[in-house]
Amino acid sequence: MLAVLDRSEPLGMVDVAEAHDRELLRRLRNGDEDAFRGLFGRYAPTAKALALRVVRRSHLAEEIVQEAFLAVWRNPEGYDGERGSVRSWLMGMVHHRAVDLVRREESYRRRAEESIPAAMEQEADHADDVVEALGRPEERRIVRAALEELPAEQRDVLTKMYFDGLSQSQIAEATGLPLGTVKSRTLLGMRRMRATLEGVRS
Amino acid sequence: MSTRDHALIEELMALEVLDGLDGPDVQILERERAMHGDCAECRRIESELRDTAGRMAFSLDPERVDPAMADRIIALGREEDEELPPALPPRDEFAERQRSRGRGVVAALAIAAALILLVGAFAVFFQRQNGSKVLAQASGSQQVVHFTSPTGSSGELAMAYTPGQPGVFFWGSDLPDPGDGKAYELWMIDGNQAVSGGCLEPADGSLAAFVDADLGSATSMAVTTEPAACPASPSTEPVLTATLTV
Repeated sequence: MLAVLDRSEPLGMVDVAEAHDRELLRRLRNGDEDAFRGLFGRYAPTAKALALRVVRRSHLAEEIVQEAFLAVWRNPEGYDGERGSVRSWLMGMVHHRAVDLVRREESYRRRAEESIPAAMEQEADHADDVVEALGRPEERRIVRAALEELPAEQRDVLTKMYFDGLSQSQIAEATGLPLGTVKSRTLLGMRRMRATLEGVRS
Repeated sequence: MSTRDHALIEELMALEVLDGLDGPDVQILERERAMHGDCAECRRIESELRDTAGRMAFSLDPERVDPAMADRIIALGREEDEELPPALPPRDEFAERQRSRGRGVVAALAIAAALILLVGAFAVFFQRQNGSKVLAQASGSQQVVHFTSPTGSSGELAMAYTPGQPGVFFWGSDLPDPGDGKAYELWMIDGNQAVSGGCLEPADGSLAAFVDADLGSATSMAVTTEPAACPASPSTEPVLTATLTV
């Protein structure tokens, strides 16, 4: 069921997927288990992909996804419509937990020595059971294109920070860049990503 | 609406939404937020940055997820609802059984490390390097469990233990000050019963402590803010909880 948008909640543009998410969240606040399963089915596969990209270990990625969605189940009121979309909120919770884990274990030192293809190949053997992802192939294409369009130095900083879980200081240390340069490239990259994604949407 | 320049807060928020903010900039962002107050422009900036960061995840190919996980989460959430009513239950027989073992908090890193070596049950070590904290875990029977906050408060707390053996190592960082005359008290939860695991007082938000406690049949842990005298029964709602796995 699609929700009727609550005009009191900021939503930049009419976004059917976001409206659906907010409706699921509204039902979840009333304890609706099917609504939870709906959100889980829509976003758990991407959430796991994100967690796996950061922590590089499947069992840890699954723990992170479980922990994040348990937090959603416990406290759906934690979502604040003024701070972004539901999917961004969900991915933010997953990302925060994944980054927190790798920083605690400082495994990025080890992971930096591993090639990404090898790491991903190692984790490629998953359970046969599948939750059907929403897929979002179009979204995936758009976001990948937006990343590709970034100047290489900005894309590199964003990739290290978001997908490798490195902090600004760790990136500065690893690359030899001044901290101020890391900050400015991050901001410029995020602005450009935003502009590109908005341009595609409109 | 704030009339302050938004350049700095935007720069710091961009780092924060990517979980890349660290060092003194964390406090600078907090200060900026406080100085901007209820600022519509700040909310707009943050919302846009969070959306942009969140969408980056969708550049990845989805991963397969066990469809039963959703039901497991629901079951876990339901269990926790039953186990952690607004006010934690008082101690009773379970508490009495555990009392002799459950209150030996030693809040000193060196002592904790020594105890870990003595007990020999943990392959967990804690170290500081260039200001960063590291909690590493060896394989084997040891379990490392991370607490989460039902209230969304900041701070991290983790515990390591070997199922069936006494002794639990706690490690925390960025924990809020519990307040003057207050401490964090650990509770081991078994059904409707809670037994104190002792009190912890973080130093500058950090703590490392070994508790000579037997988790017994406890299925979850909770942390409440209590008077530093460390009462026998919880008097506030939990600020951190964790589910134990056997």
